[in-house]
Amino acid sequence: MTSDEPSNESRPPCQQAARGFWSEAWRRFRSRKLSMAALGFVLFLVLVATFAPAIAGTKPVICRYKGTIYVPCLAYFDRTLEPVIFAKDKFRGTYPANLAEKDPESWAIWPLVFQDPYRSVRDNEWPGEPANPARDQGAPSSRNLFGTDQYGVDVFAKMVHGTTVALLVGFVSMGLAGTIGITIGATAGYCGGWVDMLASRLIEVVMCIPTLVLILALVAFVDKPSIWKTMAIIGLTGWTGIARLARAEFLRLRSSEFVMAARAAGAGPLRIMARHILPNALAPVLVPITFGIASAILIESSLSFLGFGPPPPSVSWGSLLNDARSNLQMWWLVVFPGVAIFLTVLSYNLVGEGLQEATDPRLREARK
Amino acid sequence: MPTSPPSDEPLLSIDRLVTAFHTQAGRVPAVDGVSLSVAKGRTLGLVGESGCGKSVTAMSILGLVASPGRIESGSIRLATDGEPVELVGMPERRLRQIRGGKVGMIFQEPMTSLNPVFTIGDQVAEAVRLHRRVSRAEARARALEMLRLVRIGDPEQRIDEYPHQLSGGMRQRVMIAMALACEPSLVIADEPTTALDVTIQAQILELLSDLRQRLGTAILLITHDLGVVAETCDDVAVMYAGKIVEQASADELFANPLHPYTIGLLAARPESARSGAGQRLTTIPGAVPPPQHFPSGCRFHPRCSYLKEPRCSAEMPELREITPGHFVRCHEAGQLEASC
Repeated sequence: MTSDEPSNESRPPCQQAARGFWSEAWRRFRSRKLSMAALGFVLFLVLVATFAPAIAGTKPVICRYKGTIYVPCLAYFDRTLEPVIFAKDKFRGTYPANLAEKDPESWAIWPLVFQDPYRSVRDNEWPGEPANPARDQGAPSSRNLFGTDQYGVDVFAKMVHGTTVALLVGFVSMGLAGTIGITIGATAGYCGGWVDMLASRLIEVVMCIPTLVLILALVAFVDKPSIWKTMAIIGLTGWTGIARLARAEFLRLRSSEFVMAARAAGAGPLRIMARHILPNALAPVLVPITFGIASAILIESSLSFLGFGPPPPSVSWGSLLNDARSNLQMWWLVVFPGVAIFLTVLSYNLVGEGLQEATDPRLREARK
Repeated sequence: MPTSPPSDEPLLSIDRLVTAFHTQAGRVPAVDGVSLSVAKGRTLGLVGESGCGKSVTAMSILGLVASPGRIESGSIRLATDGEPVELVGMPERRLRQIRGGKVGMIFQEPMTSLNPVFTIGDQVAEAVRLHRRVSRAEARARALEMLRLVRIGDPEQRIDEYPHQLSGGMRQRVMIAMALACEPSLVIADEPTTALDVTIQAQILELLSDLRQRLGTAILLITHDLGVVAETCDDVAVMYAGKIVEQASADELFANPLHPYTIGLLAARPESARSGAGQRLTTIPGAVPPPQHFPSGCRFHPRCSYLKEPRCSAEMPELREITPGHFVRCHEAGQLEASC
């Protein structure tokens, strides 16, 4: 009777193509224009951060010098990547004149904007161009798009190179917070009992610590403050919300039927947590991570604004704001970094909200 | 009714199993001294109303009783490779090899028993890879073979679909494929057809008995539906309030029910001969008492229509063998008029 399955049992008519949960969520996310624009802006920032030395800098992107091809712009990522030959030939960081003078055969591809994030461009460094204006003379112009600070350093170049810090702070600290939060939340939710008790109290204790004050205390304590230490502190204190959500999800899914089925099939606890529950719990947990990235960027900016940011060689948007504090008549030092921080935080919040809408099962059911 | 040669050697034997939950209200014995045995390749139906301890018995076999509950005494022995091993008190690591490997489990709710984020092929393949050292490709091939075995149409395409794309009956077939993937010698089916509509129920039951005959798997079928038992089971055990009240072969039980509870259950079936067209269905008055409020004496006595005081409310009857192979827990068994 049942040797050939009747087709009416087999396929609900509403679903034709094979669609997983994530492709379904992506489809819903895409339909939200604002969230897509925000995601686009974040991707744009990633591109800017990746190609920062090619956008603004005083070192050639690629050049040919004495018969060899070099990529001097990598020095902006790590100073040791600068080819030794330029130091030996006494370039002293000034490429255009030196290249032409010491090897007439040489050629170079230059960054889009010839400005340095760490120093002022000197007179005639780029043939025919005057030095950057300093003090309060550096209002935005065609040469200095976002103006210059009181030392004549180009604000546009600083901001382009500061994008890396803004993005890294978000991703690294929330990557750390996410790992800690999911691990602790998952263990608490899945094991229950005294483990849950202990983890929940730990979450509450950490939650009570005001992050900014802790960071200020630690910065005062640590010998060599660096951007990585700031990220670590933000990550180590910012996992509580993630842990709470992960705990709730694991608690809910632990007693679900498919977990019972997996246990009855002989799966061990680690396997059940990582393979069966985590993919189901990930969507709600991703949302606070996205919002967390936004708040991590804000925390870093606040720290830099207060002067506890990364030490001078690295630039961040917040430290630009700090410079503006004593030069309030130079409005461009406030407006451009401020707008950049605002847009970035707004974008992450919009992405998070879109993610929430796209993955929340209740909202999803309501749409159907 | 399917028949298979009776085998003397039991595959699973449960002896005086007690599983109790320790709640704030005190100790709650959900399973109270249950003894059962399932022979190789046979189907035992475990019947009873909701809340009488059927599912807890099944979970006890797999060592999956949830936290406030635990097995307090008794023994569960499973013959693996001819050698009976004790499952009660077995370390978790070895129990995991039993689960899925030697004993498969089919759940009541096919809608929620499959993980929504994985394709059905992945889930069947995982069941294989949990117990066998095979490559991904081999596991997938085995999954395909299993899907074909449980008669899922177009398995090459279906293997990459997600549970939400399948109907309830299809999902239950996938669950059966998962339970049978490692060729267990016993399958516990906990109300496998309750959540399905009647036509699909019949297909699933037929599939189960067909697979049992083909693979030689014994089945412990837990159900509250005597119709299902009549169609599929060789032997029947009737459970009431944590205890077995009657046990016999299916033919014997349906022809000659001896316990008042069984008689009541049979009479309450719509297809029962006594309630012809136009007649009201007979019911058993009352409900199964919750374990913390089990009555004294025979636990069925407050609902029994053959009540003989004071003995029934004072003394717990023993499970007695009335005719060969037919066990009943009733003081009056054998003396009852078979009509009511």
